[in-house]
Amino acid sequence: MESKLRPNRSNWLFALLFLVSPLLFSVPPGFSQAPYYQGKTVTVIQSREPGGTGDMRARAITKFLHKYIPGNPTIIHEYMPGGGGIKASNHIYALARPDGQTMGSVNSTAIAAAVLGGAGIKYQIDKFFYLGAADGGGQYVFYTRKEAGTSNLEKLRATPGIRIGAQSVGHTNYNIARLLAYLLALKEPRFVTGYAGPEIDVAILRGEVDARFNQADSVLQRNPEWVEKGLVDFHVVLEIPKGTKHPRFSHLPELETFTRSETDRQLAALQRAFRIIGSPFILPPGTPRERVAILQEAMGKAFRDPEFSKEFKKMVGDDPEIVMPEVMDKSIKELPRDPEVIELFKKLAGPGPLPPG
Amino acid sequence: MEISLFDAAAQGLMNLMQFKVLFALLVGVSIGTFTAVAPQGIGMPLVYAMLLPVVIKWEPLTGIALLIGASSVSAICAAYLPVLFGIPGGGGSQATVLDGYPMGKRGEARRALGASFMAGGMGCLIGTLTLVLAIPAARPLIYLMGSPELFVVMLWGLSMVAVLSGRRPVKGLIAAAFGLLLATVGQQAQSGVMRFVFDQPYLLDGISISIIALALFGIPSALDLALTRLGVEQQPAPLKGSLFDGVKDSLREWWLVVRCSFVGVWVGIVPGLGSQVVDWLAYGHAAQTCKGARESFGKGDVRGVIAPESANDAKDGGDLITTLLLGFPQGVVTALFIVALLAWGFLPGPEMVKKNPELIYSIVWIQGIAGIIGTLVGFVLSGQLAKLAELRYTFMVPILFLFILMGAFSVNRDPVDLFVVVSFGILGYFMRRFGYPRPAMILGLVLGDLMEKYLYRSMMAYGFSWLLRPAVVVLLVLAMASFVLTLRGRLKGGEGGGVSLGRRDGGS
Repeated sequence: MESKLRPNRSNWLFALLFLVSPLLFSVPPGFSQAPYYQGKTVTVIQSREPGGTGDMRARAITKFLHKYIPGNPTIIHEYMPGGGGIKASNHIYALARPDGQTMGSVNSTAIAAAVLGGAGIKYQIDKFFYLGAADGGGQYVFYTRKEAGTSNLEKLRATPGIRIGAQSVGHTNYNIARLLAYLLALKEPRFVTGYAGPEIDVAILRGEVDARFNQADSVLQRNPEWVEKGLVDFHVVLEIPKGTKHPRFSHLPELETFTRSETDRQLAALQRAFRIIGSPFILPPGTPRERVAILQEAMGKAFRDPEFSKEFKKMVGDDPEIVMPEVMDKSIKELPRDPEVIELFKKLAGPGPLPPG
Repeated sequence: MEISLFDAAAQGLMNLMQFKVLFALLVGVSIGTFTAVAPQGIGMPLVYAMLLPVVIKWEPLTGIALLIGASSVSAICAAYLPVLFGIPGGGGSQATVLDGYPMGKRGEARRALGASFMAGGMGCLIGTLTLVLAIPAARPLIYLMGSPELFVVMLWGLSMVAVLSGRRPVKGLIAAAFGLLLATVGQQAQSGVMRFVFDQPYLLDGISISIIALALFGIPSALDLALTRLGVEQQPAPLKGSLFDGVKDSLREWWLVVRCSFVGVWVGIVPGLGSQVVDWLAYGHAAQTCKGARESFGKGDVRGVIAPESANDAKDGGDLITTLLLGFPQGVVTALFIVALLAWGFLPGPEMVKKNPELIYSIVWIQGIAGIIGTLVGFVLSGQLAKLAELRYTFMVPILFLFILMGAFSVNRDPVDLFVVVSFGILGYFMRRFGYPRPAMILGLVLGDLMEKYLYRSMMAYGFSWLLRPAVVVLLVLAMASFVLTLRGRLKGGEGGGVSLGRRDGGS
């Protein structure tokens, strides 16, 4: 009798299952599908100093990104300035864990430098995953001071030694100005670099430089009287993306209208592509596809949130120029890589004399 | 509606008389004080970046009171690190270490801190008053100084190497030349040419001046404590002086405070100079013009503390001149302040002067009141802070190294910075031991970058014709005269004269 009452191994297992079963069924149905990011921390490595406009842009985005990533992870920012974004891009490419919890917010120059072959680059831009940007576009206008006597394009072409101010060699404003000088075949233009953006306008008023390229909204914001009272002469606009008109400068000829060949057009396209990328949010190579998809979808929702534009404008001072993740991915893939165009572009973006037009 | 400047000033003050505005000002002052007293790593740009998303949702004046309160006080309270620990403070308080630390070692930390806070407060008020007076006349002043003129001013500044080299002019020149050479590391901003980069991303932007200054002065001070096994005030030397001695020093040297404050305002107004040069220019000015400076500067002369601190705090007034009246920022902090103003619907620049003069005056009042509160807070804190100087070396040395390493790491958040700070620290120790003046090297490093930028711009814009511009000629004559007079004074002084900043017993 006693032996009959002793439980065997299968009885023990059954009893255990019986005891545990209420626990299994008492678990909330959603638990097994809890969002991956719930309770996690996402680190954004910024390729800049804390506190600048770029930092404010990134913070404005992550404020909304947090809202739309399922599980609402905590998002923190770390800073790794250096080399115009090359240092942070190297780090994200080679050292960041590809688990979807580390992303980068890098300068557009990091992408351009990789295409053009800059120093110290240890990453391949095609292997990053892109989440989009909020500063990828806008319109750039070229203007000269009244005293330079270049009130129209003919006079601009005929005047030798026009001094064009810019921030530094390789800066977007420098590259566009060089491209314009090349396309218009300006006579012996001189490029004066080493200014902060607003300093160039002071240099124009002082007569230290004659001309510059600048973002149309910046001109209207900083020097509205220049436009209203016609204190400078506006000549050309560069629209990014192509065809996006600025209400105050739609009458100006677009830079691409001065191209003379397919190579010229590709040069303009390359410049436009570098700028349209803006300051992208990137994920390291090897990040699981499903997490990339979650983050890309969340970024898209964040950008589409009606409150985002208002908050961005408040925090940054400019309207956002949104580049959706899929558009950015496409732009990166379609960047012109023709060696002849790249070589010519490098000459234009470099410090040496302009290539013959 | 146009109103008179007097009415605008009165209205600006009346607008502040609300509990929430004054409370926000006090909170801002507390944040600024914490930022200045906390170990390096929390800079004002980061504080602004964290505050901005919050304050732009507030009423403008409340938000402005918080932001200006924080930034104006952080400069006033920045002197405790150089005085007590021999570690250069943040940008603008680095030169304070030259005389502040020897004073601390002599048992006069309280006096040095008192002088620093008083001079800072006076500088802040002078900067604010200048801002008031500049409202109608800022624009012409800025347009007067082009790249050629600024290059000559920098050249003039470099002539201070003669002062900072003390009795070893050749060693001073070597140190300054090394500083100039270091300034060339990285991608040349104007031409894009890579210099001494060796394909290393770390070197693309050059080596940070903050890290080098921290290393050159901080590590030798810490090593000194460890090797001599004494506290900062070298107990059992009796503690001397009080906060009020320092206050009296600053009041007695009011003319020096005024002069150096104007140096600070000028640095604030001129685009591109920034806080890294303000203290060195003011210190050099004091070393060139103060009676007996050749014997006493670098050995704990209170005037060597008063000069950089008054200039550093007056600079904020100059910064606001360009920010508010011309609408362009002088650095990250003022750039973010502009962003906040834009978010509230104000457009800094001539438009704001016309449309919102009362708001500009409110900002002026906030700056002035925050300066006074900051000075008082400094006095209250300094009594407690000065006691740190009495701590034993076994406690102090690890803390000092921690501060130095944290400070260095906070610059770029790059582990390589730790290696760099230790390497330059060792260099600083040997420079000190063999009498190579470290301030001359820092001056070369700070001015090298600016000189190159202004020379490059001058040559590209004007060719060699910039040398014939009237203002350039006048400034060149003044610079030459100043250099010759300094040199003649040194030669007259013979072996017995000269600021002994490179000597082992020179303190810093």
